[in-house]
Amino acid sequence: MTTTNQALQRVNEPNCLRGFSNLLRKENRAWWNTPRWWINALLWPAILGGLASIMLFALPSLVATEQVDEVVAAGGPVAYGIQIGISVFFRMGSVALALGAVVLSQDLLLEEQQSGVTEWLLAKPVARRAYVLAKLAASALAILVLLVGLPSLSMYLLLSIRAGGPYAVLPFLKGIGVLAVHTLFYLVLTLMLGTFFKNRTAILGIAIGSALGGSMIGGFIKPLLWITPWILGNSTELMVMGQSVAPEMMAYPLAATVIWCLIFTLVALAKFERTEF
Amino acid sequence: MSQPTNFVIETQGLSKSFGELQALHNVDLKVPRNSIFGFLGPNGAGKTTLMKTLLGLIRPTSGKGTIFGYDIVNESVAIRERIGYLPQQPRFIEYMTARQNLEFTARFFFSGPHRQIRERCDEMLELVGLSDKADRPIKGFSGGEKQRLGIALAQVNYPDLLILDEPASALDPLGRQAVLEIMERLREHTTIFYSTHILDDVQRVSDTVAILNRGQVVASGPIEQILSGKDGVVYTLAVKGKPAGLEQRLADLSWVTHTQISQRNGTSTWQVSVSDQAAAERQLLRYVLSDTMVTVTEFRRKKYELEEVFMEIVKGSNHDNH
Repeated sequence: MTTTNQALQRVNEPNCLRGFSNLLRKENRAWWNTPRWWINALLWPAILGGLASIMLFALPSLVATEQVDEVVAAGGPVAYGIQIGISVFFRMGSVALALGAVVLSQDLLLEEQQSGVTEWLLAKPVARRAYVLAKLAASALAILVLLVGLPSLSMYLLLSIRAGGPYAVLPFLKGIGVLAVHTLFYLVLTLMLGTFFKNRTAILGIAIGSALGGSMIGGFIKPLLWITPWILGNSTELMVMGQSVAPEMMAYPLAATVIWCLIFTLVALAKFERTEF
Repeated sequence: MSQPTNFVIETQGLSKSFGELQALHNVDLKVPRNSIFGFLGPNGAGKTTLMKTLLGLIRPTSGKGTIFGYDIVNESVAIRERIGYLPQQPRFIEYMTARQNLEFTARFFFSGPHRQIRERCDEMLELVGLSDKADRPIKGFSGGEKQRLGIALAQVNYPDLLILDEPASALDPLGRQAVLEIMERLREHTTIFYSTHILDDVQRVSDTVAILNRGQVVASGPIEQILSGKDGVVYTLAVKGKPAGLEQRLADLSWVTHTQISQRNGTSTWQVSVSDQAAAERQLLRYVLSDTMVTVTEFRRKKYELEEVFMEIVKGSNHDNH
C-alpha cells in the first residue's frame, strides 16, 4: 500500500450530517454537469416566456379595434396585454412550474433505491438525513434557478419592453418569491411521497392531483385555500399588478405553504430514517 | 463503544423478521480479526439480510451486534467509517467514469489533499487491474470488470473490515479467479467477511467459516475444524495382513472414540476417530505397526470436501427443523 490513511485528511463533518457535502457535490453534478441543465434552461423560459409574449405582443393588436369592457377597464390594448401576460405567467406558470417540479423530482429517491445505489451509498459513512437533504438542496437550487429564475428574468425583460420602461421591480420580485415558495412546495411534497411509495404512479398521482385539482377542492371547501398553496397563483397575479390582496388570499396561504414545506421535509427525513434497504 | 476484543464482528441472538418470515433467528457469530471469514448458505438462507443488518441498512428485530466494539444500530456511521462493502450486484454512479466513482467514494472518507486522493484511486485501479480503463464510461464494463471495480470502491479507504456479498457468484471462471486473487492479496491488511454459495472458493481462500441455513447458524469455526466433519478428527489406515485383536486394543485407547473397518481386495481400510489429535499423531501409527502381523500401506488424516460437509450439515438442519 503506497498512500497510508494517515497521509490523508479525514472528513470532518458531524455524524448527523455525515456525507452531506460529498452527496451535495454529486447531486449538483447530476444537474449541472449533464445536459439536464441546458434542456431546462431553454425549456421553461421558452414555454412561459413564449406564452406571455403572445399575450404581451400579439393580443393588443388583436383587441385594438374592439371596444371590449375589459380592455377599456385595463386602460387600453397595451395595458390589457400586460395584464393578461402577467396573469398567464403567474397563474398558469404556477401550475406549470408545479408540474415541472413534480416531474423532475419524482425519481429523486426512487431511481437510486430501485437500482441499488442508495444501498451502496448508505453503506458508506453517510447519515440518512444527509442523503435526503443533499438531494433536496441541489434540486431546490436547480429548480429555483432554471424553472423560476430564468423564466422570471425573461418575463421581466419582456414586460419592460412592452411597457416601454422598467416594470415595477418590487411587486414583481414579491410575485417571484411567492412563485418560488409555491414551486418548492411541490418539490418537497414529491420528495416526501418518494419516501412512502415505491412506484411512480402513486407519487405522480398525488402530487399532480394537488397541483391541478387543488384549487377545485378549495372551491368546495373555502378554508382549505387559506392553509394550502392552491390559491397562491391567482393571488400573486393581483399582487404583481399592484392590487392589494387580503391576508386569507396571500399571507395565510403563503405562511401555511412554508410550514407545509418544513413539515414535509421533517416527515421525509423521519420516514427515510426508518426505511430498510 | 464496548471494550475491543479479538473479534471484529460479534453478534448475540441477532434476529430479523419480515412479517411472518423469520429471516434471521438468534444468530451468534464471532469473526476473528484478520481472518477471511466465509459465510456459506443456500439461496435464501439469510446471508444478505445478515450483512445488511451489520451495515445498518436493516434494523434487527431483536438481539445485538457490534463491529469493532461499536453497536450496529446506534453507532453505524462510526462502523461504516472503517469498513468497505461490495453488494451482491455492485452499483455505481453511471454518468461517472471508474476513476470519478473512486474519487467520489474516497471523498466520503477523506477531504484531501487532492493529489493523495488521486494517488489512492490510481492505486486501487492498479490493484484490480483496471488502470487502462480508468477514464472509460462504466456502461461499457463487463460483469467481471464491474465486480473488480466494486472491490476497488470497497477498498478505497483501506478498511479494517471488508464485507463482500457473493463477490464471485455471477462471474465466469476467469473472473472468479481474479476476484479470489484480489481477496488473497488483501488478506494481510484487512479482515474479510464474505458470503458465497461457491464452496470451492471458500475452501481455497477462507480460514474461518460459518454455515447459515434458514436464518440460523448451523456450524461455525476454523475451516480445518469444519472440514474434519461432525465425527471429529478421523485417521485413515490402509492395512494388509491379519491383525489379531488390534481393533479391540485400539478401542481400549482413551483417545480413540470409534473404529470402522472395511475390506477391499485383501486390504482393510480402518477409519479411526479420535478425540485427541496430538496423541493420535504421535502414537496411532506406531501403535498399529507394533503388531508385527500387519503392514500399513497408507496413513493419513481424513479430509472431507467442504461440499460433503455442507450438504450433510444443511440437510441435517433441515431435517431437525421438520
